[in-house]
Amino acid sequence: MTKMNRRNFLKTTGGAAAVAGATLAAPTIANAGSHGGKIVVVGGGVAGATTARYLKLGNPELDITIVEPNASYHTCFMSNEVLGGARSLSQIEQTFDGLKGMGIKVVKDSVTGIDAAKKTVTTAGGSKLGYDRCVVAPGIDFNVDEFASVGDFDKITHAWKAGPQTALLRKQLEAMPDGGTVAIVAPPNPFRCPPGPYERTSLIAEYLMHHKPKSKVVVIDRKDKFSKQGLFTGAWKNLYGYETDKSIIEWRSAASTGGLDSISAADMTVETLAGGKEKFDVINYIPPQTAGKIAHMAGLTNDKGWCDVDKTTFESKVHKGIHVLGDASVATKMPKSGYSANSQGKVCAAAIVNMMAGKPVGTPSYVNTCYSIAGEGYGFSVAAVYKYNGEKDIIDGVAGAGGLTPGDASAEMRRREVEFAYSWYNNICKDTWG
Amino acid sequence: MRKSMTLTLAAGALFGLIGATSAQASDAEASMLANTCNGCHGPDGVSQGPAAPTIAGMNKFYLVESMKAYRDGTNRPSTIMQRIAKGYTDAEIDKIAGFFASKPFGRVAMQQTDSAAAAKGQALVKDLCESCHEKDGYAAEDYPVLAGQMLPYLRNNLADFKSGMRSIDANPNMSDKEKRKKKRTLEELAEKHGADGVEAVLQFYASRK
Repeated sequence: MTKMNRRNFLKTTGGAAAVAGATLAAPTIANAGSHGGKIVVVGGGVAGATTARYLKLGNPELDITIVEPNASYHTCFMSNEVLGGARSLSQIEQTFDGLKGMGIKVVKDSVTGIDAAKKTVTTAGGSKLGYDRCVVAPGIDFNVDEFASVGDFDKITHAWKAGPQTALLRKQLEAMPDGGTVAIVAPPNPFRCPPGPYERTSLIAEYLMHHKPKSKVVVIDRKDKFSKQGLFTGAWKNLYGYETDKSIIEWRSAASTGGLDSISAADMTVETLAGGKEKFDVINYIPPQTAGKIAHMAGLTNDKGWCDVDKTTFESKVHKGIHVLGDASVATKMPKSGYSANSQGKVCAAAIVNMMAGKPVGTPSYVNTCYSIAGEGYGFSVAAVYKYNGEKDIIDGVAGAGGLTPGDASAEMRRREVEFAYSWYNNICKDTWG
Repeated sequence: MRKSMTLTLAAGALFGLIGATSAQASDAEASMLANTCNGCHGPDGVSQGPAAPTIAGMNKFYLVESMKAYRDGTNRPSTIMQRIAKGYTDAEIDKIAGFFASKPFGRVAMQQTDSAAAAKGQALVKDLCESCHEKDGYAAEDYPVLAGQMLPYLRNNLADFKSGMRSIDANPNMSDKEKRKKKRTLEELAEKHGADGVEAVLQFYASRK
């Protein structure tokens, strides 16, 4: 528990710059004697928000504070519809009002450090929050690689954390003249939302087909295969003339290009080892990924840059009392998806409630469901039901269950998948942020 | 009311028996299993729409019957449920069904419905549907709740009944008499009242608050 009291907290934070953080955070410190225990959640995305919500539902006595740098959250899922023009940016914005309404504190601030021994979280705003258990859900950060000279992403977007980047890429697509070419540089594994770059390719192609029919989208992949590949290429053939001379989409494997050589924001070029230098009108560079920054700063990451956890509680294998889940965690075999993060949040919350009550953590159950929209009335999905396999220490898919939409699904079933994708969006957001 | 009480009870006892034998294989709590459904069906099974159905407040037998039909691929066409239902044992399905059956059927989705069609539907429903889907479709005792269910979901299922993809004949929990009655009713709705009549019935149920 924190040793700070309200008085020395105010002394520490002092200046006017810290006021926003301080006024919100102060009650947490002042309320140190909570009966249920204190939880600090780092990050208000899917994993953090779901854990907070289910913790509160599981034990209303818990004193829960989410520290999140943004005033609201833009979901990555359905952000490709913003790029395609079917949805506005505000339609993927989730507020924290629902969480606040159930008595969860949401502090707009950035976590700068976690002291696992003292059980405190410090923030850029100067707060120090004590906790009994800490939940770290920072999502992803971008790996600095040799192409990082691309820099601050104000000309070449990543658009892999939704929000202003999504709006910028959409604006660039709208401004592009007909006959222009869009490049999507797709990342190496592992990364957030494995089918995401290809859904993005599809929905940009749909936009181009209707509004700039002489234009093209070229995927320069850093892999040789990708998620839902058969379903995507099937959709591209059905909708966008893929593999004909009129194709709107061109996909290049890493093997075919020999790999990336350079990217220049100044010249708007992408150079590959086998393909040479090529100019594009819009470049979307999705960088290689790693666990969110705070996971690294708190020493929670392994040598590959992700966080090893107990897969039944999501407690860090490095620091006891800290749970890491969502995209930042190693949750083999669950993919880094919104549904995984939501499902893990419930497992983690149930485990924490039980641990704090001195009870066994219980048997976990997990699900992933991931929809992709490839065009109007054209959707498909992948699903899995998981159980923990202690022998292999993996979250294992139940044999015979799950899998992809069949390649020969009828047009009617593909249409229904879109209806269910929209339902999924509304329901998972409600389930996550209340 | 469902007339074949004996059959219903027998089916229930059968589920219970299977549940008991495989119960040891799964010790996850009902809430742990059921909460994984919320990402698509909404918190506590109350859907925000537009299409995924609300599963809260349904009778437990119907939920068990549906999950097993999806799982076994017998008489319920689906996109994703056939893949998900295969992930659960009888005992787990029993727990999940019990969990959602105990939650209230919420009507929270913003559904756009046509009030004139719904008014026309009300008369048809009284005549054709009420004897099974009682209390304007709010009743959950014997048949699924229809009042306030998602319009695209209702529309898809009625289309599947019509095409035979959702087979009434293959339903193991209905008596032959019930099957004949249901098929006759659906035929009468389609033939006597046409596409407008079908849509009116859907609009009536979807518009219930």
